[in-house]
Amino acid sequence: MEVSINGARIIATFENVPLFGTVQLTQTLVVSWLVMIIITALCIWLGSGLKVTGISRKQAVAEMIYTSLVNFVRGNMGTQFDHYIPLVGTIFVTSIVSNLISLVGIWSPTADLMTELAWALVVFVLITYHKIKASGILGYLKGFLDPIFILAPINIMSECFTPISMACRHFGNILSGTVIGALIYAALTAASSALFHKLGSSLIVAIVVALLGAALIFFGRNAKKKFFFILGIILAVLGVLAVLTNLGADYPWLIVGIPAIPSLYFDWFGGCVQAFIFCTLTTLFIKQAAGD
Amino acid sequence: MDTLYQSLVTVNPVTLIAQICNLFIQLLLVKIFFLDKIKAILDQRREAADRQIADAEAAKAEAAAIKETYEQNMREAKAKADDLLLSAQKTATMRSEEIISQAQAAAAQMKSKASSDIEMEKKKAINDAKDEISGLAMAIAGKVVERELNAADQAQLIDRFLDELGDQV
Repeated sequence: MEVSINGARIIATFENVPLFGTVQLTQTLVVSWLVMIIITALCIWLGSGLKVTGISRKQAVAEMIYTSLVNFVRGNMGTQFDHYIPLVGTIFVTSIVSNLISLVGIWSPTADLMTELAWALVVFVLITYHKIKASGILGYLKGFLDPIFILAPINIMSECFTPISMACRHFGNILSGTVIGALIYAALTAASSALFHKLGSSLIVAIVVALLGAALIFFGRNAKKKFFFILGIILAVLGVLAVLTNLGADYPWLIVGIPAIPSLYFDWFGGCVQAFIFCTLTTLFIKQAAGD
Repeated sequence: MDTLYQSLVTVNPVTLIAQICNLFIQLLLVKIFFLDKIKAILDQRREAADRQIADAEAAKAEAAAIKETYEQNMREAKAKADDLLLSAQKTATMRSEEIISQAQAAAAQMKSKASSDIEMEKKKAINDAKDEISGLAMAIAGKVVERELNAADQAQLIDRFLDELGDQV
């Protein structure tokens, strides 16, 4: 059994494009546009039909989202950076939707390092802008010689690693989710085929297992023993599925439902937390760069 | 056609630049269609609330002013009423004293008039009596002239007469 984990699918390749040479249109870009369309549609829907009084439930949600975004930015940066609210909000929502779109089986744009690197570079430019604005171009350059000039290469490296680490943190988490998801699928498929082919090799064994399960369910319910009851359900389901396999319905049954449990952490939790962390770091770095 | 894949971690400058552009386009869209609209609505609501509070405060101040004027008027009216009452009492007292003194004066006048009347009556009575006496004396004198009294009778008569007179007076 072979597990292959690939990057974004290349949908089209254009040769001899001026300025760029060979251009590859990847899944990342196509799904990014899809994500943009989804977010824009959501924004238009949430932002339409707004009223000052007597607001709808939809508007209450929209206002809550807006208020929590403003509170997030102000809580991290103070009130003098209100013009970064749209940027932070955009990165956050794009990240969330990009991360969660993998739940419906679409390639996640955030599983491509270029997506996060693009965001991180924008943040890096802002950080540098604020550093230069705060201490002047000479002061900014002099900062690299702190505390002694020999450390200048290290300082420059640490400066460059800010966006790289930001991008890689987000990318790594999403990628790990994808990799672990693929591994779990592969493992469950293998386990499923091993289990059901063994159980379903003879119809009689399968039926016996199913009947044993049914008996355990009956016993467990009458004797009020939960353990036997649950064991009975598992055995009965296994038996029935083995019977189905034996009759020709060959399907890796174990991948139904079970991957949703690790996905709860790796996709839902990880996706949301990484979006949050990226935005928190964005706000904190910019604030730090602007000085106290 | 084979499906082609990028390697898992790769640097693709076209994707990078496109994603930066995408971020800014997305930012613009989110700002125009969501953030600006919500912000405008929230600002409007805050303005409306501020206006209402200002209106309420103005109304409160106005009510306080009206109350102040009302109380002022009430105080003035009360003072005026007190004044009126006081002056009325004073007038009444004066008037009653006047009436009493007038009555006293009238009574005194009546009294003095009565006493002078009595005096006059008395005088008149005395005068009447004197007139009668003199008439009587004339009558007596006529009788005496008619009868030709003797000296003794004369003396006796005069004495009796004088006695009678003395008793009468």
